[in-house]
Amino acid sequence: MQRPLELILARNLLSSLSTPAFLVDRDGLIAFFNEAAGALLGKRYEEVGSMSAAEWGETFGPLTADGERIPFEDLPLTNVLRRGKSAHARLHIRNATGDSHEIEASALPIVAAEIPRGAIVFFWPVGEE
Amino acid sequence: MKLKFWGARGSVPAPGPETNRYGGNTSCVQLTLDDGTDIVLDAGTGIRNLGLTMQHDCTLQILLTHLHLDHIQGLMFFEPAFDPKTELNIWGPEAPEASLEDRIARYISSPLTPIEVRELPCELSFKDSPTTEWEIGSARVQAAAVTHRGPTLGYRITEGDLSVCYLPDHEPALGASLVDLPEEWISGFELAQGADVLIHDCQYSDEEYASHIGWGHSRLTDTLTFAHRAGVKRLVLFHHDPLHSDDFLDAFMGAAVEGWTALGGAPDRVELAVERRCIELSAATA
Repeated sequence: MQRPLELILARNLLSSLSTPAFLVDRDGLIAFFNEAAGALLGKRYEEVGSMSAAEWGETFGPLTADGERIPFEDLPLTNVLRRGKSAHARLHIRNATGDSHEIEASALPIVAAEIPRGAIVFFWPVGEE
Repeated sequence: MKLKFWGARGSVPAPGPETNRYGGNTSCVQLTLDDGTDIVLDAGTGIRNLGLTMQHDCTLQILLTHLHLDHIQGLMFFEPAFDPKTELNIWGPEAPEASLEDRIARYISSPLTPIEVRELPCELSFKDSPTTEWEIGSARVQAAAVTHRGPTLGYRITEGDLSVCYLPDHEPALGASLVDLPEEWISGFELAQGADVLIHDCQYSDEEYASHIGWGHSRLTDTLTFAHRAGVKRLVLFHHDPLHSDDFLDAFMGAAVEGWTALGGAPDRVELAVERRCIELSAATA
């Protein structure tokens, strides 16, 4: 099934950036993450492919500072997808080797012809310039 | 189903002795269905000559891929539009800023032209191309947004078992490698997949493309790769650069055949669009 053009262009953009980022489709599926995100997560996109939010949560988090998993319903990203509004949050993620990183994440909705297509999420380790 | 090329040039008309054989008019392709319905793909300057051959007391469908001048410039000189007996339906891409009619009116209005859109004597309607398949005459038409600058559509027209895909301005390899990108992530792929004829942008040679990345057009290698991956049966290279002379395009054709056969294609299944050339499509020839 062909992806919407806006997601195709977003993937092409993200794959050219050194800013860690991932792409979520309108159903909440993690449709792509770039090499920079892969370096932080310890897995390349080509290794894991598309993931549901639940699979992503089990593998990488996000987590609270105490290491508790944050339910999908409570994620700022959920608001981005459901309400079409941007969000910014400080969270923890766990990489493939089990190390936890504190990150800041900004999520922006992708809307075309007034139809939500998904979201772009940029994230970076706290303290890194 | 019959195709006729009335303009195969990109960007700007390029008349002159250097371009006589391939032609200097900008994008316009006539697709005549078996039931006699004419579908006109784009309204570049080539549509002027097409209009001179057409009967006026009929219904015509023009499918615009986008509104860059090389795809609409001929509208003002399309003779059937000046006859009240003609019913003209113009389809094109939706855009958030203004309606299709209002955007075309920026060209067909003072001071660029002596008349306004509303003054065209024909029975005229403007329609956003639907995102779901619709019917024109005996054909099913599918439109989808594709990678170019600004809102741009590609079209696939299917009549019976035969299909033509028209992607005249398309840069699917922008920021991506078409060699290993999954199909679902390739712009225009679904439209082109398995088409009997793919008419595709091939404005640049591989060498020229390096200084034109992001301009919305394809280089030869990317066009061949796209067509090969989409499994099209016949590829027509289109939207020739206005700087490309007939001699240049002859040599370009040689490179195209070489590249196409290297991908496993038959040498007679790739060609350059030539103004006034016809392609008759039937189940036997496809």
